[in-house]
Amino acid sequence: MNKKGLVIRLTALAVVIAIAATMMVIGRGHTIYFDNKTVENYQGNEYKAFERVVVTVKDEEVAKLGKRERGMATWIGQNFKMILEITEKKGDEPRIEEIELTLPYNMDGIIINLPAYLAGLPEEAWLSEFIPAPEPEEDEEDPTIGDGLGLEGDLTGDLGGDLGGEDLGA
Amino acid sequence: MSKSEQLQQTRFGQLVNTYGLPRLIITGFLIFLFIMAPITGSDLATQITNVINRFSWNAVLVLAMVPMIHSGCGLNFGIPLGVLSGLLGGTLAIEMGFTGPMSFVMAIVVSTPFAILFGGGYGALLNRIKGGEMMVATYVGFSSVSFMCIMWLMIPYKNPSIVMAYTGVGLRSMFALDSFYANVLSKLFEIDLNPWGINLVIPTGSLLFFALLAFLMWAFLHTKTGTAMTAVGSNPTFAKASGINVDRIRLLSVILSTWLGAIGIIVYQQGFGFVQLYTAPQNMTMPAVAAVLIGGASVNKASISNVIIGTLLFQGLVTMTPTVITALIHTDVSEVIRIIVSNGMVVYALTRKTEGLK
Amino acid sequence: MSSNKNTPLGQRNLESMHNYATPLGRRILELVRNYAVPIMFIIICAVCIPLSGFSTSYLLNEIITRMGRNIFLILSLLIPIMSGMGLNFGMTLGAMAGQIALIFVTDWQIWGIPGVVLAMILSVPLSALLGLMCGKLMNMAKGREMILGYMMNYFVGGLYQLVVLYFMASIIPIKHASIRLPRGFGIRTTVNLTNMRQCLDNELAIFYNGVKIPVLNFIIIAVLCLFIVWFRRTKLGQDMRAVGQDMDVAQAAGINVDRTRIISIIISTVFAGFGQIIYLQNIGNFPTYTAHSQIGMFCIAALLVGGASVEKASIGNVFLGVILFHTMFIVAPKAGVAITGDAMIGEYFRVFVSYGVITMALIMYEIKKRRARSQGGELLALAQKEGGAAS
Repeated sequence: MNKKGLVIRLTALAVVIAIAATMMVIGRGHTIYFDNKTVENYQGNEYKAFERVVVTVKDEEVAKLGKRERGMATWIGQNFKMILEITEKKGDEPRIEEIELTLPYNMDGIIINLPAYLAGLPEEAWLSEFIPAPEPEEDEEDPTIGDGLGLEGDLTGDLGGDLGGEDLGA
Repeated sequence: MSKSEQLQQTRFGQLVNTYGLPRLIITGFLIFLFIMAPITGSDLATQITNVINRFSWNAVLVLAMVPMIHSGCGLNFGIPLGVLSGLLGGTLAIEMGFTGPMSFVMAIVVSTPFAILFGGGYGALLNRIKGGEMMVATYVGFSSVSFMCIMWLMIPYKNPSIVMAYTGVGLRSMFALDSFYANVLSKLFEIDLNPWGINLVIPTGSLLFFALLAFLMWAFLHTKTGTAMTAVGSNPTFAKASGINVDRIRLLSVILSTWLGAIGIIVYQQGFGFVQLYTAPQNMTMPAVAAVLIGGASVNKASISNVIIGTLLFQGLVTMTPTVITALIHTDVSEVIRIIVSNGMVVYALTRKTEGLK
Repeated sequence: MSSNKNTPLGQRNLESMHNYATPLGRRILELVRNYAVPIMFIIICAVCIPLSGFSTSYLLNEIITRMGRNIFLILSLLIPIMSGMGLNFGMTLGAMAGQIALIFVTDWQIWGIPGVVLAMILSVPLSALLGLMCGKLMNMAKGREMILGYMMNYFVGGLYQLVVLYFMASIIPIKHASIRLPRGFGIRTTVNLTNMRQCLDNELAIFYNGVKIPVLNFIIIAVLCLFIVWFRRTKLGQDMRAVGQDMDVAQAAGINVDRTRIISIIISTVFAGFGQIIYLQNIGNFPTYTAHSQIGMFCIAALLVGGASVEKASIGNVFLGVILFHTMFIVAPKAGVAITGDAMIGEYFRVFVSYGVITMALIMYEIKKRRARSQGGELLALAQKEGGAAS
């Protein structure tokens, strides 16, 4: 192979890797949870929950939150944008705020406490990771699947098992 | 090139050449399993019983590979045709009301015309497509199995012990043979060492039945027609030149293969104790093909000893790995090992250079 | 070894001679014989569609969706056919590579179209490697490529199970417990692609009278079609066709036959990997251990239904095949109920038809190959005789 060919190939490879890396950044999906919950004691202060918050993400109204309620939205990428329609106290005129924030790359589920965020507190006060509750122990799945030409039935001798063999239809 | 020549000069290289590397690995692995069996706490006698048992179920099906390989038709991926004739024979014998050992005999008798019919058609087809048998055979197997899936539902079987429980129309996907031919061979002259505290049971009848068929096959291969068959397989041009009707011999070999397949599945069922219908016949192909290849056969060469060694090795592998390997690493990888070994074996055999193939 | 050694010596001349000399009636007969399978399928569909009772818009919607998700996979079969290696049953290898890529992308939580693109990029090294292996083995088994590719499915299927079921999350890191088996390693029997479900289909989709047209899918397919058309004209594409015609002649003309064949299989495998990713993003989840197993069979059956043969297939065959085969697939179970009163019979029937079509195509191919070979032989003998008489 000549030198020019090698250079072209290496460039192509670099481009592909660059695309892959870009995809890894811009395609990272997050699930975002909004809490409209009073923060009772952050450095001695209390931040009260709003009467009502309407969350709009990508022109779609994803949640209408009363006090102590939680809403959810999905977002691809780290530059998260949303529009909040906030009614602070009963009878107030709702005010509209556009919010942009950067999401941490490594978190799948992100909880944002809206009152704390809007009060301009540091990140640790309003952002926390959502850790899904461990799923209830299911019965052990039996993933051992033959090649469709195997000895399924007779090997196990377990006649209660799958006797139909491979489903040809699909 | 020079490297491989060096290898050939070593004794190990010679062994590899005569015995085949994959077979060597599998034999070694099996010996390892046998050594490990007592260490992992499983009873060696029980293991041996299992291996012999499974050998007795499967050996005839593996034997069915021999005639077609001999006549140069390649590996019989179309064995489901034979299996289907066996299934037809078995179910029809039961439908006619035969029970016990008689149903076994009748199953074979009834399946014979089907085997001749199917084998004849299949053989005639293969004669028109010399050189491309294996791929076509595979798909002939598939389409006939799926066609029979429809038939199992449509043929008006009546016997309540084999038709579907609720509707009464169509055969069940699986039924027990307890009152029919389950264990008719294996219980014959059975040697049971359990009274002496050893869990070793030898299904003498099944082994004898296989020995009989294997002997007949060996004898047949030494008759005039048999040698003609070998000639057709190893050098069709020469065979044709010496006045052998190649097509007729090939047809005969296919019919023989199909018929042995039919008997093979009936023997298998008597050992297993159940009949499996619908898509199950497809599952009989790979174990048989892989076994004969592991035994040292190639795409156009196979002997009775290949069948015996191959079935023992393959069934040994299939029976021993679940217990021994699971005990060793606490994970059941036996299924995956089986898939890789059996299919890898076929891939290996297909990539070997074969002489005498047109 | 067997196939191409002495095949087309006189075959091409013979064929062109045929074309000159046939009267119109025979030509029509020839046409019917060449398109027997599509014609048969049109008849089956014509009978089954009214019996199934599906509405036109439902049927159209289904067929267009299936076209969008299947055509890419089927197109991946074309290049090996061009280079004379027959139906690439080994395309499943690419599908497995695609699935492994999808498992990683799911674990890394890359969603939407970026996820699909990343999965495609990730699948390339794997499918190229598998394709290389497959191609090398096929070169060792010339004349038996198809059965070898077919067996490779199962062999590599075993390796795939070994990797996904035992190595993943034990040796290969998998972060999320939600896709691991409860026992701690191995991947669950179903991988959920909720976050990339139909992301290609929905982008730029057009709804027309209740029929959804996945425009982006079709654009991707069009790009691949253009690529194939362009590729045929390149030096490499020409080489492949030469190899497909006659390996010995190609070798004599200075083409590296083995290398050309390997490249053709690699291209096919890589495209099959892309195709499987497109296919699965449409479905939205996949059974980890079986999603690939039937894909080769269905793609090959669809291609053959479109009038392709083992040695000749065009893009038109792919489109026609997808439409006919999938129409049959959609309507057969319901039509089966209408005819026989048993749903299972329709199910089995469509499986039987798919296998039957492949069987028929293989048989016709082998018969044709054999006839051409003996005709070639006769021609050669004739030529020798004449030569002998003249001198």
